[in-house]
Amino acid sequence: MDTFGSASEPRGKSPNSSAPNNSAPDSINQKLVDLGRYRDKRLFLAIYDHFAPRLKSYLVGRGAHSEIAEELVQEAMLSVWRHSSTYNPDKATASTWIFRIARNLWIDRMRRDKAHLLTSLDSCPTDLYPDLSFQPSLAPLDGDTLKSAINNLPQQQAQLVYKVYYQGKTHREIADECDIPLGSVKSGLRLAFGKLKNALGGEL
Amino acid sequence: MKPQHHPDSSSLMSYAAGSLPDSIATVIACHVSTCEQCQRNVAEAEQLGRFLMESSLPEQSEEESQHIDLAPNARDDILALIDSDEYVEPQVVVESDVQEAPSDVPLPLQPLLGKSLDNLLWKSMAPGLKQFVLPATSGTLRLLRIAPGTSMPIHSHTGSEVTLVLRGSYYDEMGRFGAGDVADLDPEVEHQPATATGEDCICLIATDAPLKFSGLVPRLLQPFFQL
Repeated sequence: MDTFGSASEPRGKSPNSSAPNNSAPDSINQKLVDLGRYRDKRLFLAIYDHFAPRLKSYLVGRGAHSEIAEELVQEAMLSVWRHSSTYNPDKATASTWIFRIARNLWIDRMRRDKAHLLTSLDSCPTDLYPDLSFQPSLAPLDGDTLKSAINNLPQQQAQLVYKVYYQGKTHREIADECDIPLGSVKSGLRLAFGKLKNALGGEL
Repeated sequence: MKPQHHPDSSSLMSYAAGSLPDSIATVIACHVSTCEQCQRNVAEAEQLGRFLMESSLPEQSEEESQHIDLAPNARDDILALIDSDEYVEPQVVVESDVQEAPSDVPLPLQPLLGKSLDNLLWKSMAPGLKQFVLPATSGTLRLLRIAPGTSMPIHSHTGSEVTLVLRGSYYDEMGRFGAGDVADLDPEVEHQPATATGEDCICLIATDAPLKFSGLVPRLLQPFFQL
């Protein structure tokens, strides 16, 4: 059963194993800023070693074959190398910045693979994730609080969040797969989002 | 004017996670590009995503770990890649104060449609109803241009449908929807939209499944409308 519990288990078992970034997000943000400034390959490798395995695991979870996931990880990390000078720590944490890069590459890949379904015009005509003017609050995310909020979600809601984020499933796919009405998928996600926000005092 | 109707937070979550059909993602992107409230929600849902991505080292059996671990030469490969990379970050152009002509084509669609909705090759579907189909790799995406004072048949949906008003307005059981407003309907909802008088109503509509009309005649018309 793929619920959140099992997916986040390893962190619970060895709380220090993934500590470097979670306990000191500032340091990895700083590494990314320094990388943009000094183009130092050792800094790059430190960032690579932290994120590459997580990215691959995340992409495999979404259904990418191992080789494709690996290709996308390299593509994402090359993007990190190229664009690190544009990274602004006042606008996003390093991990959010890298999450966006990986997500956008994944979607581009999916669209390219399906482009033969299109009959006219360009295959990837729209920019699905334009830069937004809004700047989110940068209060450091309390990982432990968020984790316990996730663990406190009713199992069905946790599963919905899991399927959306880890498996990349659409609402309709989830409804078909779990044999529940589409409206219940939407309301379950809505409730889960509200609860996670509340647990963190209204700010995720 | 600030939008009065927003996408459901389940849609914003899936948008942030990158898990919407790209037809629906396009409509959400168009709304989010102008709505600060939804930008905040998307940013928060992205925070959740990056937290989950970061914790994304699931418990592995021996067999799975071979699947998940990076190839042994991955580190050398990436070093070779960045060594031979000659990419130069383009200089950021400072935005001038000159206001561009206002356009009711949402920013994410401008690369595809240009700046004017009126110059598109609208295809007439029925009196008072024109359509322009946009490419989407999953689901359907179209612009509908509906004459003032037109009543659409009562219908519900077999899947998700998300509508963004780009020009004019319409009314239905849920209220008035004007430019910038989004109707993000659950499939159970039956509604009968009617456009306001005065000007055409132009909507961007994404579905991930065909519409289901409840009257007999509209159902017979469905194949012709391709709705």
